[in-house]
Amino acid sequence: MLTLTIRDLQKNFGSLRALDRVSLEVQGNSIVGLIGPNGSGKTTLFNVVSGFYEKDGGEIYFKGERIDGLRPDQIVKKGLSRTFQVCKAPEKLTVLENMMLAAKSQIGEDPFSALFRRPRVSMLEKANLDRAMDLLEVLQLVDLRNEYAGDLSGGQKKLLSLGRAFMLDPDLILLDEPTAGVNLTLATQLLKVIRELQKKEGKTFFIIEHSMKVISDICDKVLVLNFGKIMAEGTPEEIRKDEQVLKAYLSGA
Amino acid sequence: MPVIYFLIYLLTMIGIYSLLAMSLNFQVGFTGLINFGQVAFFCIGAYASSLLVTKAGAPLILGFVGGMALSGLFGYIISIPTKSLKADYWAIATLAGGEVVRLLALNEGWLTEGPFGVMSIPQPLRWLFSKDSYPLFYLFLIAACVLIIYFVLSLLTNSPFGRNLKAIRDEEDLCLSLGKNTRKLKLQAMVVAGMVAGLAGALFAHYITYISPENFKPIETFLMWAMIIVGGRGNHLGAILGAVVIQLFNVSTRFIGGYVPLGSDTMAALRMVIIGLLIVLFLLYAPEGLIRERKKVYHLKRKHIE
Ligand SMILES: Nc1ncnc2c1ncn2[C@@H]1O[C@H](COP(=O)(O)OP(=O)(O)O)[C@@H](O)[C@H]1O
Ligand SMILES: [Mg+2]
Repeated sequence: MLTLTIRDLQKNFGSLRALDRVSLEVQGNSIVGLIGPNGSGKTTLFNVVSGFYEKDGGEIYFKGERIDGLRPDQIVKKGLSRTFQVCKAPEKLTVLENMMLAAKSQIGEDPFSALFRRPRVSMLEKANLDRAMDLLEVLQLVDLRNEYAGDLSGGQKKLLSLGRAFMLDPDLILLDEPTAGVNLTLATQLLKVIRELQKKEGKTFFIIEHSMKVISDICDKVLVLNFGKIMAEGTPEEIRKDEQVLKAYLSGA
Repeated sequence: MPVIYFLIYLLTMIGIYSLLAMSLNFQVGFTGLINFGQVAFFCIGAYASSLLVTKAGAPLILGFVGGMALSGLFGYIISIPTKSLKADYWAIATLAGGEVVRLLALNEGWLTEGPFGVMSIPQPLRWLFSKDSYPLFYLFLIAACVLIIYFVLSLLTNSPFGRNLKAIRDEEDLCLSLGKNTRKLKLQAMVVAGMVAGLAGALFAHYITYISPENFKPIETFLMWAMIIVGGRGNHLGAILGAVVIQLFNVSTRFIGGYVPLGSDTMAALRMVIIGLLIVLFLLYAPEGLIRERKKVYHLKRKHIE
């Protein structure tokens, strides 16, 4: 069974304990939300899990395998990918190129194949192009397909990162505030798409949101992080009623 | 008649520098790898090919292949320690790498003849042509090489491989988050670039038939940079156009030199000052260069467009 298991994870920035013995579990085929006040360590958790930051202690298992210590690209190849809170949008790559970039295991990524196996490469490109266009349709980015990603608005960049994540199609997707800056109608619709993907294709999502409201509808489980510690865990219902959580949010905001 | 020979010489040098500029552009313009030691590839290609032919008695074609291979290998080797370095440290490391190669050529006399250089380097198919017609043949040979390399590099930069390189240039972390092995990709880019510049080195050596470390000073790297800054980056045609402009200027002022009351040292220094000024002006007022990067547009089936 696909599961992400984190045990006693620690990450310090100087004397700051950004992650203080965090333990958690994300079950396969579910949607788990991660909330917490600003600066509580949510993004740091994603950075460590995805291999961008080195941990200072603890263990991370994915599908039963240790993944801490691996490079980010090696972790992705195991089926775990993440998006960034501050969107990465290659300045001189168009929206469509971004989608094509994200497709996994393309033989044309090898220079030798790019030169000598061109028919196969272009066949794969065509298939990917179809899928990319379908996804752009869902994300309402079709008309922007030939714009440089660097020229998009903040909300559009968010949509594009979702698009890339869907294109890459990993088993577990970590989304860092996927709907921040996206208008409400579209945001609601995106969450629906995420729900559908989880139901139909058995994808697993681990989603950071700053605000509780956005994800409470779609999450099976919600974790609350505060000062680098997991302070609560439960169904959205339970979390909403939790006194401690309310207090943390009031003092944090 | 001498004018024609001067023209052929000029075009030949433009061809050689087009290859060097395309190679540098492949690193800088497409992959975002700053290389301040580009001349090292040129030097290795020239020396490897010449020495393989003159000392090891290899056939010319093997000299060319060896020059390309060794220069590509050098691209691989400097990528190993530098592959985890951030852009600015990478730049410094390549600058040092370039000088190390030239100093090796200067000091390892047992192999390279040191400051005396390698002399009497044979020319390909020389026996087929008269003394007067050979330069024209060589120009065609170089033109063919430029065309082929242009074609090959275009195929690469239009492929998923090239897309990855551009993405590394713009957002390396994004590439990692999409599962791209960016270290390997950068290494591959350096090998490709090394082979292209190595070919330029071999073509140069067998053209002028005499090379010494003097030919491979850091100023050459400076000229190649001027070419891609003026011509434009992320675009193979820009690199070629840049080579045309800078070589025209560089060589024609040498020609004018005879009519101006300035010493040749002063002229040489003045030339570099003017090229430096040109670089500054372009960076300020036309940072994209003469030809800007082309946007990639995919051909879609009708069903997607309406
Ligand atoms: N690269 C870093 N260097 C130093 N401190 C950092 C770094 N990244 C995050 N922090 C600090 O760690 C804490 C948690 O940050 P972050 O994980 O971004 O919080 P969140 O995503 O929950 O808002 C903050 O105090 C932040 O300033
Ligand atoms: Mg954050």
